Amino acid sequence: MMTLSDIPPKGGSPLTLPMAALVLLLLATPFLVARLGLYHYLAIEIAIWIIFATGFNLLFGYTGLHSFGHGAYLGIGAYGFGLFQHKFGLGLWSGLGAGILAAALAGGFVGLFLSHRRGIYFALLSIAFGQVFWFSAIKLHRITGGEDGLLGIPRPPLTLGSWQISLADNMNFYWFVATLTVLVVVFLWRLVNSPFGRVLQAIRQNQMRARFVGYDVWRWKWLAFTGSAAMAGLAGGLLAMAQHSAYPDVMSLHHSGLVVMMVLIGGGLVNFWGPILGVLLYFLVREVLGGLTETWLLWFGLMFITMVIIKPEGVAGLLGQRAASKAPTVHKASAGSAP
Amino acid sequence: MTLFQATGLQKRFGSRIVLENITLGIEEGTVHGIMGPNGAGKTTCFHLLTGHYAPDAGTIRFAGRDITGLAPHRIARLGIARSFQIMNLFDDTVVIENVMLALPAFRARSGSLFGDCFANTRLIDAALAVLDMVGLAEKAWSGTKALSYGDRRALEIAVALAAEPRVVFLDEPTSGLGAEATRALASLIRRLRARYTICLIEHDMRFLFELADTISVIHWGQVITEGTPAELTSNKWVARSALGEVV
Amino acid sequence: MYAILPHLINGITLGLLFALIALGFTLIVGVMEVINLAHGSLFALGAYFAMTIISGGAFGSTELGQWWLNFPISTRYVAAAVIGPALAGLVGMLIEICLRPTYGKASLYGLLLTFGAAVVLEESIRIFWGAGEQSLRTPAAISGAILIGGMIFSIYKVYAAAFAIAAIVGVWLFLEKTPYGAIIKAGAHDSEMVRALGYDLSKLRLFVFGFGAALAGLAGIAMAPIWGLRPHVGLDVVIPAFLIIVIGGVGSFWGAILASLLVGLSIGLTGAFLPAWSMVSMYLLLILIVGFRARGLFGRKSALEN
Repeated sequence: MMTLSDIPPKGGSPLTLPMAALVLLLLATPFLVARLGLYHYLAIEIAIWIIFATGFNLLFGYTGLHSFGHGAYLGIGAYGFGLFQHKFGLGLWSGLGAGILAAALAGGFVGLFLSHRRGIYFALLSIAFGQVFWFSAIKLHRITGGEDGLLGIPRPPLTLGSWQISLADNMNFYWFVATLTVLVVVFLWRLVNSPFGRVLQAIRQNQMRARFVGYDVWRWKWLAFTGSAAMAGLAGGLLAMAQHSAYPDVMSLHHSGLVVMMVLIGGGLVNFWGPILGVLLYFLVREVLGGLTETWLLWFGLMFITMVIIKPEGVAGLLGQRAASKAPTVHKASAGSAP
Repeated sequence: MTLFQATGLQKRFGSRIVLENITLGIEEGTVHGIMGPNGAGKTTCFHLLTGHYAPDAGTIRFAGRDITGLAPHRIARLGIARSFQIMNLFDDTVVIENVMLALPAFRARSGSLFGDCFANTRLIDAALAVLDMVGLAEKAWSGTKALSYGDRRALEIAVALAAEPRVVFLDEPTSGLGAEATRALASLIRRLRARYTICLIEHDMRFLFELADTISVIHWGQVITEGTPAELTSNKWVARSALGEVV
Repeated sequence: MYAILPHLINGITLGLLFALIALGFTLIVGVMEVINLAHGSLFALGAYFAMTIISGGAFGSTELGQWWLNFPISTRYVAAAVIGPALAGLVGMLIEICLRPTYGKASLYGLLLTFGAAVVLEESIRIFWGAGEQSLRTPAAISGAILIGGMIFSIYKVYAAAFAIAAIVGVWLFLEKTPYGAIIKAGAHDSEMVRALGYDLSKLRLFVFGFGAALAGLAGIAMAPIWGLRPHVGLDVVIPAFLIIVIGGVGSFWGAILASLLVGLSIGLTGAFLPAWSMVSMYLLLILIVGFRARGLFGRKSALEN
């Protein structure tokens, strides 16, 4: 049976088939989207959510810490970026840096309380903190603009050496986001297959044993939480650029729950690529089914429930099963040699 | 020398006093047994000695250093390892990773965000050496879940050994093992005693009396008597406590 | 000084109504060791069902609807207060049936499933009844306000508090004085033992989920005139229910009551000084308390602590 801890044949090398498929997909998305009669903006959204969901799964799937309040860090990243542009001046990388930093600080703070826990108490506390942040975003009107949102967030141009590329055009901006997406996914792929990543997985599998073989589990959980919050912050900063604004709604329990649903349906509990599959499926349902009926979220929710009951391994698990039943199992190299 | 010294340990859960006054010393290079009836507090004692719980009173000294109340991961790093009665393995992965994670060499590079642990021949070889000690080297790349019960027990011990400890605590290592596996385990412990100080809790009296140099008997939350197997065989307490067949 | 009185009464009323929600919630958690994230949606469903029963809703124009609307509102209200929770209870039982494949697996799956159920229920409410704010009509006898000593007191809140007390007493009598209640209490404490004693655990679970859901629905009906009816009022309610369980301890009857009053009072009193932040005080209370004592004030160790 597929698990997240399966050892990939090429280790942390990003030169794999799924990675190539992702790159192809990102290259093709704007055109696919146009063919479906939708706006290019959708491609940007998909790429941003891929960053968010894959970073989230580092915590949810790999470390086994089930946060239901992660939307908060997406929102904080967005506000961080926007406020930086408004208060400190225009800056692409500094703005994104501000978003990441803000989200990481928030995540680091919350992590202090959460890292002692796991299971239901962890989930519960994550919701509580998420709601506090969401509430604050709505009530701190003067800073965040409240329910009306923080508006007028610019897209600073991309400066490469002496060239300056404007990101005002959605296609240009998409290529920028897509490049970042690939970089983030490659980074995460290497991370989960590194010693650091394996220890996080050990903590998921058996926290007590990890402790007894010498790992300060609290610290690792804190790092995983803060790291995934930072990545959410990056996604948030990009989101603020994409929609030229930041709103409290992404910080609500509703939105935090969406990424959980995407990750599970896609198969993030058993496979690295699960979250990406989940993101794609969500947007497919939202745009295609949503074009036909208002009740698309209901169907997505029913799909989710069905998956939880019948196949918690998600779509990735289903595909893995079909692949396994077709190809003979390849056993790892015999004792004495490393792959 | 006395490697491990527990003095006056007390542990209470709510209003229930589980351990009242545990005092015992483990000599370096020996096999020290702990026995007693069910509910006597043996496993709680282990939990105290290995840092899972902090004692309400009393001290624990390891190699002269006071380790009372230290967190389990710190105690582990000082060279104290334990195995568990209810097995605690990393079930989603392969056998060799269970051991690798415990290697101090691996722990040292665990902060690395980019390395590839399964390509590191030194680590792999070190892990294989540990697996070899318990006879699991051929199954290094099998899934942990696929192992037989006996092999899982062996792996359980291997993980403890991988941490390169000075003293190893084994919690009822013969649990659920048949006669042959128990014999294999006994010979394993005999091989290990040259390198490690071993402390083990056991219900299997024959096993314990065969291997241990000293045995502490815990009952009613205290160490009621202590001695060599020979001394204990003629001890009235031991006989009276209905501890099962004593050889 | 006395200006605080309405806020105190607000707080106590809120606390008592929270207690109804929390009781159902804690029974479910105790017997089934599942955190029912859909509890808030069941709360909302009860209120929406009641609203339709009272006002006729989409059926108002039919012959049956016309006949029904001829009854005085108090009759319709009473009928709604009985049928609404019963329907919510049925939906709860449906959720329990869906949960069955997740028993024995990691608690994550139960949590995910009830979360999915919450989303589905909320969307269903939005689709069937619309996303806008609605209101529950109440009989004139319990509506309105009176002026005492220069302060406005809501009659409905007094009624709601009395209603909640009556319901709590009813639940207590059921748990303490009936054999079925004893089984539930035992199950909340140790479900293995209950099964060993020969009781049908699956029937018990089904009943408890339905009972808990009905209590939530009942609370929903009582709360609707105070909080209003919106599709996502569900999630607004689950959080305090959670908090109350953790503060008061899992599976503890008096813990739930006391924690509910604590939470209700903190909201009510915060409402006196910082009205905008009253709801947040719940979360802060949780963070404060779980930060220091993992099992709440009364809790016993449960399977929730894996």
